Amino acid sequence: MIAGDARRTKDVRGVTLQQDPAREAVFTVVDTDAEMQDWPGMSDQSRREKLHRHMNNEMGALEIAAQCLVDFTEAPWALRMQLARQAADESRHVLILQRRLKEIGGKEGEFPVANFEWGVTGMIDDLPGRLAVQNRTFEAGLIDLLGVLRNKWREAGDDTTADLLDGILADEIAHVRFANRWIRTLTEENPRVLLQVAHAIRLLRDINRRLAPEVGDTNAVGIEVTPDRLLPPAVNVDGRLEAEFTEEEVHEVLRQAGFRSILPSSSPTRKKEAAR
Amino acid sequence: MGLTITQKADTLGTYRFILVRFMETLAAWVPTSPELEVKTLFGRHIWVLAQHADAIGHRTVELRAKLHYDRAPQPPYLSAMKMLQEAAASGDRIAALYDGALPDLARRVQDYLAHTDTLLDAPTVDILRRVLADLDRMHADRAEVSAKRADLRADAARVNAITQAFAAARELVEYREGVTT
Repeated sequence: MIAGDARRTKDVRGVTLQQDPAREAVFTVVDTDAEMQDWPGMSDQSRREKLHRHMNNEMGALEIAAQCLVDFTEAPWALRMQLARQAADESRHVLILQRRLKEIGGKEGEFPVANFEWGVTGMIDDLPGRLAVQNRTFEAGLIDLLGVLRNKWREAGDDTTADLLDGILADEIAHVRFANRWIRTLTEENPRVLLQVAHAIRLLRDINRRLAPEVGDTNAVGIEVTPDRLLPPAVNVDGRLEAEFTEEEVHEVLRQAGFRSILPSSSPTRKKEAAR
Repeated sequence: MGLTITQKADTLGTYRFILVRFMETLAAWVPTSPELEVKTLFGRHIWVLAQHADAIGHRTVELRAKLHYDRAPQPPYLSAMKMLQEAAASGDRIAALYDGALPDLARRVQDYLAHTDTLLDAPTVDILRRVLADLDRMHADRAEVSAKRADLRADAARVNAITQAFAAARELVEYREGVTT
């Protein structure tokens, strides 16, 4: 359990989230997608915003892993080692993205940032629940997203950024894999852990339902949210399997992503090309 | 020094206790330090300290203690650790850790190495020499960050109080009673 009761919270459109972690004054911290500056395409401005957003998200992942080390001192040492390694990995990612952002003419604080993942995971009081939400959901989503973004940067002629994202993707797969392994181990030791996981996922779904952008909304730069902008990224089947999601779990993700009608009832790997 | 096996295990267990608590201190500082460079410095060093604690924790079982045996240091040192944890400003945190707590720990480790039989105690010596080498690397990382962020000043009096608290904790290890060899 969390040591003490030091959690500070904030209210975002009626949803209680953990208060933001510390950021320098140069950053404008916002609460919702609608306040973010998100341009479609790969214009110079859009490229800088993508790297800036990703850099802040990696900072959040570092903060979440670090906070788990603080909050769950009685967790198995081998699991704490994985969290410590994750903290170091996310630190490198922040520095890599900061360096690249500067190389393409960007700077810290150029765009608003949001700390949604920190806000959600901080509301979960047990480690299996946090691993399920942060590593197994947010970071697994990043596996999908990085697979798409890497290709987009390459198609846009920026192999340097594409290669960096490929390196980050490999690390994220490792983070999801250790969470999958530990959730399985902890569940085998104590089946009630599944209830913690289910509770955490339910919390995330509820928050997403209340805060996710809707078709017709506009963001801070006047870009309208269209149905295609709400589509999840193509499922990175190989990446998810490497992260030790089961084939059934990948199948379910593909189904939820809208590939229900073309999926066979067996292995999702046969249809991975269709998902791209 | 002539430490018994149990005393050696207690010494390593105390080092492990300290390294784990320093790791946790850095972890607590990550979300509460505003500067990107400081967060990532602490984030990278969380892993370095975890690896030290892990290596020592595997050695303690070879010294007939538990796997990952750890042992709280004597109260004055614990008080100094608490003072370190309570440092609030990024400049104070960096200076108190890298100029105070870690050099103090390195001196204690060097003292252990200077007095132990390096052949009889070779597995421990190998681990502690790696710890010292990594501490040097951590100082280099800190120097790089401090060069980039010269604006991060420390409150000299506050940092000095923490450094002095570590130095004043002359005895570190709380040895078990009824030592057997």
